[in-house]
Parts: sequence; structure tokens; C-alpha cells
Amino acid sequence: MVVVVTAPFHAPAPEWSHVYRDVLPMHLLETILLLGGTVLLTVVIGVLSAWLVAAYSFPLRGAMRWMLVLPLALPTYISAYTYASLFGATGTISLWVHDLSGFRPDIVGLPGLIVVMALVLFPYVYLPARAVFASGLREQLEAARMLGARGSRRFLRVAVPLARPAIVGGAVLVAMETLNDYGAVKYYGIRTLTTAVFRSWTGLSDLGSALRVAILLLLLVVLLLWWERRSRIHRQQATDAVPMVRQRLTGKRAALATIWCLLVLVSGFLLPAGKLLLDAFTIDRTDTWAIDLIALRNTLGIATGAAFLTLLIALFLVFILRHERKSWTHGLVRAATLGYAVPGAVIAVGVMTAAGTIDRQAGLSFTLIGTIGLLLYAFTVRFLAVAVQPLQGSLTRQHSNVDDAARMLGASPGRIFLRVNLPQLRPAILAAAMLVAIDVVKELPLTLILRPFNFNTLSTRVFEMARIEQLREAAAPALLIVLCVLPPLLFLDRQLARSEG
Amino acid sequence: MRPLLLLLPFLSACGTPGAAPTDDTPAKEVNVYSHRHSDTDAQLFKAFTAATGIRVNLVMADDDEVLTRMEQEGANSPCDLLITSDAGRLGQARMRGLLQPIRSAELERNIPPFLRDPDGHWFGLTMRARVFVYNKNKVRPEQLTDYNDLVRPEWKGRVLVRSAENLYNQSLLAAMVAHFGTETALAWATGITVNMARTPKGSDTDQLLAVAEGIGDVAIANSYYVGKLMSSSEPEKAKARENLAVAFPHMGPYGTHVNVSGAGVAKSAKHLAEAIALLEFLVGEEAQRLFAEGNKEYPVRPGVAVADVLQRFGELTPDTLDLAQLGLNNATAVKLFDKAGWR
Repeated sequence: MVVVVTAPFHAPAPEWSHVYRDVLPMHLLETILLLGGTVLLTVVIGVLSAWLVAAYSFPLRGAMRWMLVLPLALPTYISAYTYASLFGATGTISLWVHDLSGFRPDIVGLPGLIVVMALVLFPYVYLPARAVFASGLREQLEAARMLGARGSRRFLRVAVPLARPAIVGGAVLVAMETLNDYGAVKYYGIRTLTTAVFRSWTGLSDLGSALRVAILLLLLVVLLLWWERRSRIHRQQATDAVPMVRQRLTGKRAALATIWCLLVLVSGFLLPAGKLLLDAFTIDRTDTWAIDLIALRNTLGIATGAAFLTLLIALFLVFILRHERKSWTHGLVRAATLGYAVPGAVIAVGVMTAAGTIDRQAGLSFTLIGTIGLLLYAFTVRFLAVAVQPLQGSLTRQHSNVDDAARMLGASPGRIFLRVNLPQLRPAILAAAMLVAIDVVKELPLTLILRPFNFNTLSTRVFEMARIEQLREAAAPALLIVLCVLPPLLFLDRQLARSEG
Repeated sequence: MRPLLLLLPFLSACGTPGAAPTDDTPAKEVNVYSHRHSDTDAQLFKAFTAATGIRVNLVMADDDEVLTRMEQEGANSPCDLLITSDAGRLGQARMRGLLQPIRSAELERNIPPFLRDPDGHWFGLTMRARVFVYNKNKVRPEQLTDYNDLVRPEWKGRVLVRSAENLYNQSLLAAMVAHFGTETALAWATGITVNMARTPKGSDTDQLLAVAEGIGDVAIANSYYVGKLMSSSEPEKAKARENLAVAFPHMGPYGTHVNVSGAGVAKSAKHLAEAIALLEFLVGEEAQRLFAEGNKEYPVRPGVAVADVLQRFGELTPDTLDLAQLGLNNATAVKLFDKAGWR
């Protein structure tokens, strides 16, 4: 992280004036448009779905409740490629529509990308919104109902404002995922800050300029995070965990609710996953499966390793936050968790540069780069936030009374953490481990750059096949990614559901 | 116990070859950083190991990231051989001091001089041409003899080509800059942009499929993508196979723009002899034939047959421009694309 921030100030950036004048403006504009559109759409889809599923009873509600989480199993670039192969200008469904009607749909473009990304990312808003709607608002909503407010009014005027911090939190995650994406954005021809980073780096061979654009990216994220904190501070968090009483829908309204949920589920998950299944089983080459299975083993290995390492560091950070209250601890944690906002490739370069420096200073006879250890370290830098958040969230719910009692009995902070805090943190630790693992399985650019020899992961396989335009062969590893991510995802959702009642 | 169990898959994935051999005899191996296709290469590396007993360790990544990685690794870099899919990057690798010159009669005899570095820093292994692919029901080949033809007004709204972010387009424009200067190159890029049927999106193959669909009438694409499309058996590509044909445009007095996929020995190479052995193997008959047949690329070795499908396209007269120029002019090309509005 330190390298990325300090490099622009002493790295040469010969092409900067060109980048600044001709490249940045359009890229900045399209980034903001993409961000705005995607966030807006994810909030609409996520909040609406969460409300329906939490507040009402309708056919298939039970299944929809957890199935609406499924799109998270699809990495954005896979969903984007699959949609392009169906609805692109020469896509299967587009051609069919064209034959029937003369109209040629083409999803590849900014509006299309916004829709595709929103369909895959909305669970980030759906999940927290659902949690709040389902178990935090009963009394307020009851009060509103007794005052005569209709359903939609209760929703808009009571539920949504009270859930705002959760919704904003989810929206910020969506924004960060959108900013970070490279594969989907590049394929659809959209110019974002992230593509500008790569453009300067590879097209203009100007790493210095690339890093400066990365700084700009970081600033944007810091802005977003600051806005999110602001919205949290001035709001009272609804804290009671009383489960909602659901209102039964009938007739037309019930049908509408079911149809909406089905539509979201089909377009967000079933359609792309179905296409992947079809492609995976219609290729006639069997030798690629063997390579893919090895990639599967490698993917599971690094996911586990990264989860382990990240958790270790996250626990340490959370320990500091809890027991060593100094003025700089908050800043330290926040800085350490910023990695989530930086594109994977930029982190890879930062880590590579740092490792190169260490190699030279320490006079090592081998290079750190290309070792599994460095790869795992880079994952930690990138995904620390993902582990810290659930741990911190759970820890704040532990009253400090017990800590204080232990301290008065003479226990050191370390001992308190190990014997008092840690056992209660166990569900959060599991959740954090799974979240990191899921992210590592889906990750691409960082793995691509830092991996050791002969090391393929499922995502690098998808990338390589897509790069040589053999999208059919990319379907099998893509499907394996989805299958890897599904179990932990659904498990996490069950945990959440249990706490929602 | 549970945490330890979690570590198991992680440990098994750690067993990667490369730095330390597991037995006492030094393992004969060569470490390759590559930005090429995976499958035919995998076959070739296996054949190489079977023939020589030298193991090939492979890392694949994007061109510039590989170069940056090599730079950071410095003298400790385990890379012995760098393989790229574009000559420009090889030139850059040389400029950044990442390659070392080698002499090999075998390589010099079997690779034409314009397809390798004069000082032996890098060697082209396969050749690819950037050609025009057109709808034969709507276009006559006589209309497409020069790259400049597509700039004419009659092509407005009919040209399909991928984004300027792609290396192959950048190399094409870099070649124009080398031959004719920035003004002419800019004029060409601007002319093409004006004539585009749609804003660039998708891959080379997408452009070809779009021509078959009537979205445009001519596409600019690399020869091996056309070769692969024309010899594929997928039903969705049938329309393309039946309606498309290839033209080899000239660049003024020069031939058709070509590029190479090639390799160079890393300066930090610890397995020098093995790296050279692999290079010579890749330029040998068996390897060149596999490149030609398996990947539909043009072999560099004289005497190796070009794939049937490519032969049917017509005769290729390559531009013999010194390919190091492609790397030198790449940044200029990118800036010209920006000026022309070619996305």
C-alpha cells in the first residue's frame, strides 16, 4: 500500500500530460456514469426485493429468500461475457430476435453493462437491507400501520430511511466492485479509471502515470467511504432484533411479487449459469478438463491459505482496536483495509515493487516474487477489509463490561482477547474466512500477475480461454468457480437468516 | 485439529517446481514466462520434455505485467525464456535490459532476418498477418488492395475493427508511423474511425461474425483468428464460413503488415543451454508444423507448409519492416489513436 501511494511522487511519468489531457476526462466521465447507473439500479433491485421478501408472504417466498443471493457466485466478468454471448450483436438470442423481428439487440455498451453488473451485484444491497427489514423495524412499522399508513407508504417513509445506513453500506461495496472490475468493463468497451490505469501502464509503458491514475481511483473510494460514514453517524441504528410479522399477499399482488423475484433470479443467475452449463457440456475436447481440475485444486489451496493468513492479521488488527485505544489505531486499521478499493493489478505491482526492493536490500539469492507466500500476502492486502468488517461488527456487540472485569482481575489484554473475545467471535471468524475465500476464488488480475510457475487457478483458466476467444472452453472453469463459491455463500446466508428470525 | 486440516489443500498446492529440486541431481529444467496461447504450447513443451528430458516450467501473464515482473525480480529472476505474442514487446524487453544476445546457427538459419533481432536478443517463432476479411457477396477483392482503401468515402459505415486498446492494432499503426510518419498514420486512423460501422467492441472474431451478420462489410483481423473461424465446426459460425473471404492489403509500396510471436533469452537466465535448446526446438520442423496446423499461424521456418485453410486465402507478401520499430512507436500509436477518436 505504501508503495502505491508514494510512487507517483518520485516515479517518472513521461506521458502524464497526454494522459491528463486526452485520456482522463472521458474515462472519469464514463466511470461516474457507470458507477451512478449501477449503484442506482442495484439499490432499486436490492431494496425492493429485500422488502418483498421480508415484509410479505407470497408463493415461493421461502425459496426466493435465499436464492436471490445466488448472483454473488458469478464473478462480474463471467456474467458479462456470458450475457454478451447471448445478447451481443452476434449473440445467440440476439440473432434469433433479429430473424423474427428485424430488430438487433446489442447489450454491449454502457447501458447494457450497467444492467449486467447490477444483476450480479445487487445482493450486496439485498443482504443488509433484508437483515434490517426482517428484524429491526417491527415496532416502527407497527406504529406506522396503526397510524393508518398503507404498505407502500410504510415502505418509503419508514422502512427505507431507517435502513439507510445498511443500504448505503451495500451500495458502497457495489461501487467498489464496479470500480475494480477490469474484465467486464474492457470487453464492453467502457472507459473507466481502471482501464486508464492499464492503458497507461501497457499501452504507453508509463507505470508512473498508471500509478497516478490509481491514486485518483483511491481518492474516489475514500470519498465514497467518507460519505458512507457520514450517513451512519447521523442515524440511529435500529437495534432491536424482533422478527417482522409478514403480511400475506393475495391474488394479483402475490403474483406480481413472485414474478418480480423470479425475473431477478433468472436474469441474475439462472440464465448465465444455464448458458455456462450448456457450453461446458457441448465442447468436444476432453483434455481441458484435466487441466481445469488441477486449477481447481490450486484455487482451493490458495483460497484456504489466503483466508488463514488474512484472518490472522485481521484478528490482530481487531485486537489492537479493542484493547489498545490510541489515537492512531483507527487510522491504521482504515489504511490497512483500503486495499479492497484498489484494483488487484495495482496491488500486484505495489507488492512486486516492494518485494523487489526487499530482494535487493537484503541481498537475497532468490526472488520473493513468484512465491506462493507473496501471492497470499498480496491477497491479504487486498481482502483485509473483507475479514475485518464482520469481526469488528461482531466484536462491538460484545460488552466491554466483561473485558473490564477481567482486567480488574489482572488479566493482560492479550489474555482477555484470547479467553474472552475470541470464543464469542467464532461465528464471525468462520464468516470472515468464507468471505475472503469466496473473493480469492473469484479474483483474477492479481493472481494472473503474481502466480508461481506452472500454477493455474480457475479464474486464470477462464481468462486464458477468453483471451484466445475460445469462450466455450472458458465455460467449464467458470462453472467450477460458481460451484466452489455456492456452498460457503449459502452457508453464510443461512447464518444470516438465523439471526433474522 | 480443525485449523490444521484446513491447511492441507494449501500445502499441497505449494508443491510447485521451480526453485529447489527435490532430489540431489540438478533437475534439467527451463523456466518460461509466456504470453501465448496455452494448449498447443502445452503440447509442444511436453514433446520437448519427452525428446530432451528437460522440464518446462511455465508462467503465463499479460505482456507488460510480465516485463514489470521481470524488472522487479532483477538478477534473481528465475525466468530463462520470455515468450510474447507481439514483436513490439520483445523490442521493449530488449530496451529495458531484460534480454541477452545469443548466437545459434540453427536459429539464424531457420528464421528470416527481418523476423528476428539482428543482435540475437529475440527471435520470431510464428508470423501473423493483419488482413481484411470481407463479405464476398457485397465486396470485390479489387476494392481492397491497400490499407488506405478503407479510408475512402464509399466505405462509410461499413468497417468493423476492434478497440485501439488492443496490441495488434497498435502495432499496425506503429508500422505506419515507421514507414510514413505520424501525420499519415493519423490520417489513416481518423479515416477508419469515420468509416466504422459501430464503436469498437469485442474481439477480432466478433468482428468477423458481425460481417457475416451484415453489421458491416469489411473487418480488420489477424490471420490466425480467421483461420480458426474458417476451420471450426461450430454451427453458429457456419454463416461466417460460407460468406467471408480474405484480402491481403499492401501498405503502399510495402507488403502486408505482419507481426511475430517470439521469444528471447532472459538476461538473468540460469539455465542458458536449456533455454537455447527450447528455442531451437520451437523453430524445428515438428514445432513449426504444429504452430501451422494447430494454431493456423504462419511458420517462420522456410519449407514448412502453411495450413490449407490459410493457403486458400491467397498469397501473403509480408512487409519486411524491422519489427523492433513496432515497440519503439507503440506509445506514439496509442496517442494517435486517442487523437483520432478510435476507442
